[in-house]
Amino acid sequence: MVDIHIRKGVIQKISKTITPASCGADVKVISKDGLHVSIGWFDMAARFCDPGFEYKEDLITGAAAAAAGGFTGVLVMPDTFPVVQTKADVEYILNKSKNLPVEVHVAGALTQSLDGKDLAELYDMKQAGAVAFTNSKKPVTDAGQMLRSLIYARNCDSIILSHPNDYSLSGKLLMNESVNSVLYGMKGSPSIAEEVMLQRDLMLNAYSQSRIHFLTLSASGSVALIKEAKKKSEGVSAGIAAHQLWFTDESVGSYDSNFKVNPPFRTEVDKLDLIKGLKNDVIDVICSDHTPQDTESKDVEYESAKHGIIGLETAFACAWTVTRKQLTIEQLIEKISVNPRNILNLEVPAIEEGKKANLTLFRPDEEWKFEEKHIRSKSKNSPFINQVFTGRPVAIITGNDFITSD
Amino acid sequence: MSASFKAHHLLGIKDLHLDDIQLIFQTADNFKEVINRPIKKVPSLRDVTIVNLFFENSTRTRISFELAEKRLSADVLNFSASASSVSKGETLVDTVKNILAMKVDMVVMRHPMAGASMFLSRHIHAQIINAGDGTHEHPTQALLDAYSIREKTGSLKNVKVVIVGDILHSRVALSNILLLQRLGAKVMVCGPLTLIPKYIEELGVKVETDIRKALQWCDVANMLRIQMERQDIRYFPTLREYILQYGVSKQLLETVNKKIIIMHPGPINRGVEITSDVADSNQSIILDQVENGVAIRMAVLYLLAGKKATA
Repeated sequence: MVDIHIRKGVIQKISKTITPASCGADVKVISKDGLHVSIGWFDMAARFCDPGFEYKEDLITGAAAAAAGGFTGVLVMPDTFPVVQTKADVEYILNKSKNLPVEVHVAGALTQSLDGKDLAELYDMKQAGAVAFTNSKKPVTDAGQMLRSLIYARNCDSIILSHPNDYSLSGKLLMNESVNSVLYGMKGSPSIAEEVMLQRDLMLNAYSQSRIHFLTLSASGSVALIKEAKKKSEGVSAGIAAHQLWFTDESVGSYDSNFKVNPPFRTEVDKLDLIKGLKNDVIDVICSDHTPQDTESKDVEYESAKHGIIGLETAFACAWTVTRKQLTIEQLIEKISVNPRNILNLEVPAIEEGKKANLTLFRPDEEWKFEEKHIRSKSKNSPFINQVFTGRPVAIITGNDFITSD
Repeated sequence: MSASFKAHHLLGIKDLHLDDIQLIFQTADNFKEVINRPIKKVPSLRDVTIVNLFFENSTRTRISFELAEKRLSADVLNFSASASSVSKGETLVDTVKNILAMKVDMVVMRHPMAGASMFLSRHIHAQIINAGDGTHEHPTQALLDAYSIREKTGSLKNVKVVIVGDILHSRVALSNILLLQRLGAKVMVCGPLTLIPKYIEELGVKVETDIRKALQWCDVANMLRIQMERQDIRYFPTLREYILQYGVSKQLLETVNKKIIIMHPGPINRGVEITSDVADSNQSIILDQVENGVAIRMAVLYLLAGKKATA
């Protein structure tokens, strides 16, 4: 048990014996049973839909959702309209988010218009502040193009973020292939659609000696491939979306499009292997894969609905509720704070006297119900509404900003 | 009617209670007698308005439902996607709510997407009958198929049924598998492996690629239509090669030393799934299926409407 005194956004003192009186007259005391503090959390795959889809989310509402979820920093994906593929696009996001309480970092497009054909101007975007490059959910299908992209990214000392999926195997990614896809009458997308392209990317990355991170793996086979690849290369890291720890493809039976995600929910076996992967540090990062969608894109026939769910507000609670028997809280926090920043070469904040405050306050033992009224995202496409969780973000402190979750 | 019908909608076989299935069959027995009378019409659904919503082409299912509705004296409204505002961008829920605002009581819907009727059931209160949703279910077809087999064999217990053809794109196959198993039959699927879902054996069905072995094993062969229109990619090289492997001819049937019942949900591609001499033989119960289809649909409509009256 320690007390932390923050004044004007800077940590003044860390001690077991700080009294309000010793801090001056206007001090605000935050004290709760079981309150934990860690360095600010970081989400490695969010979509703020700005520019182009501001009716789903914008930088302000996205940042509010991140703050409510305990995140003090996020990496936003380039699949906006227009796509983030020039320095002007990068600068727009960085300038517009400069005064937000949450640090917004930008991943630029790997290829122009995310079409997988021609490289985007990685060097120029990097100079403008982009910290990684990705084709988001439109994987580069041409192996030769992917190889050149990896080599060129190395030339710019940048990391590539990949969502491996071979569409010729996955089809429309309606759901995972299993006995449930037979029962629900849809063509399933087999795990090999992810694994085949993951294996390809790993081989290309080994050949080019570049750095690659896989944002949202979902299958048992993928965990095994990453485990092997890590033995040979330091340029490989991997993440999963928090919701992959919670649901299986059985949930699709309701034909509720809030269970339509990319990659699709897999089986109980895959889920357990993802948890094991987290435990053994084969999986380095847990992200929200926050994908806001408006009602018109979601409240339609399952097959017509767009993929994705919002996740910033529930990522921690979901991941911790599932893994708290297998992981320590320190292990989990590392995967949502230190690891993503290390992978992106971002400075990792520290809780030290004299440092700028970049903190997340949370209660790992609090049981709470996530309700629609908690959602600060502009979109409400969450399968977790009315779900009871264990573990709750309480607030973030970033410099002078203090934002509570409730 | 002593027992009461439990279902509020008929979305699929998956969520249909065994008692409800028996009740549908008993009720269909009565209606089959009715439609063979000189005066084929009963007043059971007078003042009930039913819309047949077809977002996908259909001739025989739509006609069968329409006839069933008219024989029950319901008021019938037909709606097909080509003539509708769907092409103007109206959503499914808006389309249906607009129709229901005109005081329509029941919806019979065919839709190209799996789960569309379940999705709709979350948005409206009217009873819904799924007349086929994508490659998911076609419950009235399965009911009429099982009813037609039962008519020939007395019971479905231990009856061996093989479903032949494109299992992957077939809503008839899934509904049939689920219903036949529920009634105690044994089910096999037969066809090129590219048209058989990888995990189908987990449903407890056998998989056979050799049509000769399948015919040796079965009592009933349900020949599915090869639906070229549902295949976005090629699953077998040519229709000719399909026929070589899976086409059922009189000659082939004669190599089996028992009289197999031949079924087909229609429309038949003569010379593809089965040859004309099989379709028109006394082993074929294809036209019985069509007749029973009306009786089964009358039973389903009647029972669901009764549910409405007591709700």
